[in-house]
Amino acid sequence: MIEVRNLTFSYGKDKQALHGLTFSVKAGEIFGFLGPNGSGKSTTQKILTGILRGYGGTVSLFGDDMRNAHTQAFFQKIGVLFEFPYLYTNLSALDNLYYFASFYPEEQRRDAEELLNELEFKRDFLKKPVSSYSKGMRQRVSMARALINNPRLLFLDEPTSGLDPAGAVLFRKIIEKERKKGTTVLLTTHNMLDADLLCDRVAFISNGNIAALDTPKNLKEKNGNRSIVIDYLYQGKREEQTIEVPELKAGIPFAYDELISVHSQEPTLEDMFIQYTGRGLT
Amino acid sequence: MWRGFLHLLKKDFRLMVSGKFFLLALLSLILYSCYINFVYANLDQQIYPVFVYDPQDKLPAAREYVTRLDSREALEAACADQYSVGIDFSHAVPELYMLSCGMETTDHYRMAWGEAVLHGNIDGRAERIGSDNKEMKNRREITAEFLFFELTAVGFLGLASMLFKEKQMGVIRVHGILPVCRPVFILSKLLLLLLSDLVFTLLLTVINLGAAEAVRVLADVLLQAGILSLIMALIGFLCAVRLPDFKQFSLFYLILAVFVTTPVFLAGQTGMKGDWIVYHPMYHLFEAMKGAYFSAPITKVSFYLTCFGTMILLFLLSWQTLNHEMAKEG
Repeated sequence: MIEVRNLTFSYGKDKQALHGLTFSVKAGEIFGFLGPNGSGKSTTQKILTGILRGYGGTVSLFGDDMRNAHTQAFFQKIGVLFEFPYLYTNLSALDNLYYFASFYPEEQRRDAEELLNELEFKRDFLKKPVSSYSKGMRQRVSMARALINNPRLLFLDEPTSGLDPAGAVLFRKIIEKERKKGTTVLLTTHNMLDADLLCDRVAFISNGNIAALDTPKNLKEKNGNRSIVIDYLYQGKREEQTIEVPELKAGIPFAYDELISVHSQEPTLEDMFIQYTGRGLT
Repeated sequence: MWRGFLHLLKKDFRLMVSGKFFLLALLSLILYSCYINFVYANLDQQIYPVFVYDPQDKLPAAREYVTRLDSREALEAACADQYSVGIDFSHAVPELYMLSCGMETTDHYRMAWGEAVLHGNIDGRAERIGSDNKEMKNRREITAEFLFFELTAVGFLGLASMLFKEKQMGVIRVHGILPVCRPVFILSKLLLLLLSDLVFTLLLTVINLGAAEAVRVLADVLLQAGILSLIMALIGFLCAVRLPDFKQFSLFYLILAVFVTTPVFLAGQTGMKGDWIVYHPMYHLFEAMKGAYFSAPITKVSFYLTCFGTMILLFLLSWQTLNHEMAKEG
């Protein structure tokens, strides 16, 4: 679906944003781009969505070279959720969706009301101007805009930002549902939980380079600490011991009366990111 | 492409309505028309009074427009208003006495009038241009000026404020990923503003010149209005997209009003005209507008080629600026 080879981009002299990225995304995959602000995630997404030109290397989407892909047919196949909810604030949610949907062929469009309903948008606000919406509601309308054309390739930039925990869970479900339909998703985020829960593979991007690329599970396993912390009671006293996983083969290697909890010491994606890049995600 | 164009037109029309663009244009139309009809059309300049000090009765007979005075002091006192013209016959050669009003051209007219009165040659030497009466001349003159002002300053501001709204909402960036050609985003705004300006021009001309006179000049006036409207709309588009916030835009607008429009008005309306004014591009557009209202349209091909070239250049710059805006960070 997406093939990127030696992608470079510069915003001017001494402002090299990308230093030869190489990666590919398979059809139906959720691919995560994980990196802090200014790492080159958004620049890469802008190149892939046809907003930025003048890059080096080769990029192909849907099997076509991106340099020839700035056509209506290309834009009909993609959906983009920007980092901020860009909407006409003087129009209602429905009018915004009708307007943006009007650029796509009728047979491709989804029903705006149904889509908003799926995103648990408050019905009372359907016809009220966007200026009266909360950030979470605007984000829902923006998500609906990104999905209105039934895209085959969906670009999501920080999809859960501005959402409460319930909203974030709902958005993850929607993204999962899109994957099940066969939509390819490129998720750009510095939210490690989103990446961990949603992505089939993630790329750690830092200073315009890909520092690591694998499934979240592999990244954590390859570099993780294979120890376990056990909380237990012995002779009326609460104690804690750390043991290596192989030691468990023969059972728990110490005396105890009651086990309270067992914690694996699996690192988070953020730990891995710091390990690979030497810097945090925020 | 055209399906997208129609939707953009509809959306821009709604933005113009919600931004009260048409209401402001209607108010301008009413305000200008009231001023033209109730004030300017009937304005007339008082004839320069001519005072004569003629102790030896050299002036043969009593002349129309001449007031005789008894002393040189009285002559000087009468001409102290910097408007009247005095003639002193007490010397061998008659002496013209007047205090300068500060404008060379007006002083020249005063002097010419004084000499004409002196020689009794008031009607014979003036060349009659056109068939307008004084009122129609006033109407044509001020309608041309108001239209020029409306198109350069007000129309320009209208489009820019509409675009600033879209820029602040960030929706310009969304259009970068829609299946619609980017130039169409500019064209839809230009077309709407052009249509709106042409309707405004039509109404202003018909209301203030009368239907019969309007029909005679309308084709030329609409052509000039169209050229001015497109150039100003493109400048407005370019500035609104390029400048980061409305504060900077307001400053730019002030500069435009003070340094671009004002000299043109001064040159057109008063005697203040320097040689440099011919290098001021807006002056030529202003003169073209006035010429169209006085049935003397510009026929130079170079003028139209320059205007067309300017429009193309501004359009390409706007397109490039739009692409840049779409790629900006949030």
